[in-house]
Amino acid sequence: MAYQLYRNTTLGNSLQESLDELIQTQQITPQLALQVLLEFDKAINTALANRVRNRVNFRGSLNTYRFCDNVWTFVLNDVDFREVTDLVRVDKVKIVACDGKSESTQVK
Amino acid sequence: MDEGGDEQVLLELKTLWENKLLQSKAVEGFHTEEQALLAAQQQQQQQVQQVQQVQQLSHPTHPTQAQQVLLPPQQQQQAPQQQVIVQDSKILQHMSATGMSAAATAATLALPTGVTPYQQLITSQGQILQVVRAANGAQYIIQQPQQQILLQQQMQPGGVQAPVIQQVLAPLQGGLPQQTGVIIQPQQIVLAPGNKVQGNAQVMQAAAMASQPGQAATAAQVQQAQGAAAPQASVQAQAQQQAQPQAQQPPIMLQVDGAGDSSSEEDEDEEEEYDEDEEEEKDKDGGEDGQVEEEPLNSEDDVSDEEDQELFDTENVVVCQYDKIHRSKNKWKFHLKDGIMNLNGRDYVFSKAIGDAEW
Repeated sequence: MAYQLYRNTTLGNSLQESLDELIQTQQITPQLALQVLLEFDKAINTALANRVRNRVNFRGSLNTYRFCDNVWTFVLNDVDFREVTDLVRVDKVKIVACDGKSESTQVK
Repeated sequence: MDEGGDEQVLLELKTLWENKLLQSKAVEGFHTEEQALLAAQQQQQQQVQQVQQVQQLSHPTHPTQAQQVLLPPQQQQQAPQQQVIVQDSKILQHMSATGMSAAATAATLALPTGVTPYQQLITSQGQILQVVRAANGAQYIIQQPQQQILLQQQMQPGGVQAPVIQQVLAPLQGGLPQQTGVIIQPQQIVLAPGNKVQGNAQVMQAAAMASQPGQAATAAQVQQAQGAAAPQASVQAQAQQQAQPQAQQPPIMLQVDGAGDSSSEEDEDEEEEYDEDEEEEKDKDGGEDGQVEEEPLNSEDDVSDEEDQELFDTENVVVCQYDKIHRSKNKWKFHLKDGIMNLNGRDYVFSKAIGDAEW
């Protein structure tokens, strides 16, 4: 089992919404939907590890930090995200980071 | 997957999923126009009473990129677009990186240097409204009034004239209340910047100025003629008579106070709630001798900005894994990897991210 971390992204949320719609119209079972989400977790983890190859730098001020159950949660203010090509500025950003070192299979 | 699922259902899932992704506008669509159409359809479902512009899609670091969204006319199968509306009025938004209509080009050229339009709205009457982002980041809506349209039920297209910038309206600044608005004839688009501008959303609101009596009817007519506006926009009626010839009767302003006032109602409700809470607190305090004044004092110690932050609508989120998190005094260093970011509504990915922050 891979991290279920990526379910709360645009990709993940739209998938969950679509699955919910199908469940409501009874075209699939909730069990099947769960399987789909687990497949999604595997796929997204693999894709990010293998198919993405870019680097980002960021700088800002740290508002809050939290480390619980080996998950870091930060809230930063006035952050600049810099890639080679461009720059994105945000007033506030929340960063949720799971442990990337071990092969642990924690949920979320 | 042979878990009893139909292939058909899987295909349907895929379609649903892709549609949602396109609608979110957080990812780049396969076809830009298709994406625009979907986005337009989604926004068309909003309240008819409000006008809403297309959210800015251009990358913030490309201010020179003109944003124009093409909306199909109502005669087509696709439902009328965002700004819409009613029968005859047609708002054309042309979305392409390079294409601009002749009038739009002229309008752009006429803009002061350093200012580039990132959104252009063209009404059926040929009136061009440009939302422009100046160098300092302030947003202006420039109205280029066309030939005046008589106040009649029918819409008379004014034709596309060479747009002339007559006036620059009050700058739109995020979070600041706007006092000025532009009242145009019912067939035109009225711009009344709202109190709050969320993100890149522009607030446009129709204020009716009609020579005909029966303001409610006119307001409804105008509202029908417009799309959706930001919910927090306030209706400000201001007459700008300069370029607009008066109708036979003096224009009737949209009345927002008196019977039509809604703001005081909200205040009253808030006041009522507040009074009830106060009473409850006083009851509790009454039971503890000598602490009636201390509790309110202590309650001021709480620095609760958490609520404000968590009530945010589009929170920028980064979901990733951490390689190393380091701290020295109050200097933090982040080494992250394999992340998906949603910033300002758009999605980004990274395989590595390194960051610095001071706490």
